[in-house]
Amino acid sequence: MINKILSILYKDFKIEISQSHLFFSVGLYVVSSIYIIYISYQPTGILNLEHWVSIFWIIILFSSISAVSKSFFQESGNRNYYYYYVLSPDELIISKLIYNFLFIVFVTFLTFILFSFLLGNFINSYSFFISLLLIGSLSISNCLTLISAIGHQVKNNSILISILSFPVIIPILILLIKLSKISSSEFSWNLIQDDIYLLILLNIILIVLTKVLFSFLWRN
Amino acid sequence: MKYIKILSVILLLYTASAGILFDVPRLPILNETIRLLYFHVPMWFTMIFLLLLSSINAYRFISTKNINYHFKSNNYAHVGVYFGVLGIISGMIWANYTWGTYWTNDPKLNGSAIGLLIYFGYFILTKSIDDESKRAKVSSVYNVFAFSMLIPLIFILPRLTDSLHPGSGGNPGFNVYDLNEQLRIVFYPAVIGFICLGLWIADIKHKTQKLNNN
Repeated sequence: MINKILSILYKDFKIEISQSHLFFSVGLYVVSSIYIIYISYQPTGILNLEHWVSIFWIIILFSSISAVSKSFFQESGNRNYYYYYVLSPDELIISKLIYNFLFIVFVTFLTFILFSFLLGNFINSYSFFISLLLIGSLSISNCLTLISAIGHQVKNNSILISILSFPVIIPILILLIKLSKISSSEFSWNLIQDDIYLLILLNIILIVLTKVLFSFLWRN
Repeated sequence: MKYIKILSVILLLYTASAGILFDVPRLPILNETIRLLYFHVPMWFTMIFLLLLSSINAYRFISTKNINYHFKSNNYAHVGVYFGVLGIISGMIWANYTWGTYWTNDPKLNGSAIGLLIYFGYFILTKSIDDESKRAKVSSVYNVFAFSMLIPLIFILPRLTDSLHPGSGGNPGFNVYDLNEQLRIVFYPAVIGFICLGLWIADIKHKTQKLNNN
């Protein structure tokens, strides 16, 4: 099973490298949206923690939606039939989860670096914030992977994926925004304990649901 | 079904008359608006109950492939959302008299609004696929997924923060009213009555859909 997952991941990366315009288009999306914010906040820059945190997560949300929605687009119809004979749905969805996770980690860190470079930085406890970014990308990828698999079944899916994913992702974003505001002050485990546990719980629920529901969705 | 209908009529007649005529505790600010407890809170109970039924039916559809379960789940979701909208509107009117504004940034209000958005997304999803078996499969999967994200949104997240809404953050809520005998004798029948009414409406919708399909 692990061999198969690794081989799908390897294949996805190869496609990514050969069709590098998809990869760079997401990167450019992030860069240009941050640059628009940089220009619109021009005379003073962002002075307010709330603005910084909310714009930061909004950019990550939108760019990861566009990043994840293409993960099932790439697969042509014939290749899906091939997968159907070779793979079990669990193997396919786990490899997609890992792949999306890596992609969103790239998007989040790119956003963070550009944000600190152009718009200033409010973060005090870096190690906590970076681990928060990792957990956040994991939760966003868990949430969006099943939605993109649902959207893959529908024709005009780019709008539908965002419609379906916004409300579902909001509980996760509320927690992430709350935790990132805390990370601008001194780190203290007591402040974040409940939220971190809840985030981990949500991730477990999401992974289990994705694994169970995808097998139903994929069978045609 | 027959008993549910009779029960619903009797209990709702009782709620409507007793809810307006019976004596209620006098609390500052709330005053007579406390009677909204009999109508606003049962709406949410009914909505959650019907949405639970909807997601159970959606799961039964994806495990058995019986298309009837999909129709049932779709109808339950429709009726549940009607009750949710009524709950939001009644709550907004109440909030205007007690908090002085129709809408505030409050975890419970946000949770219920987002919950409704999830189900509007679900209706758009069901409308946007032409092939019937595919539509049933995809929307049932989304229904199960969305309902399990609704639970933390409505039941867990609001409890972690303070809220203006009765029932959390030191505001008078259920635990205070529950001690009060006068409110309890109307409130519990109201909840059962509205749930029976929701089941009744869903049953009628299911029957008309069956006739249309034939």
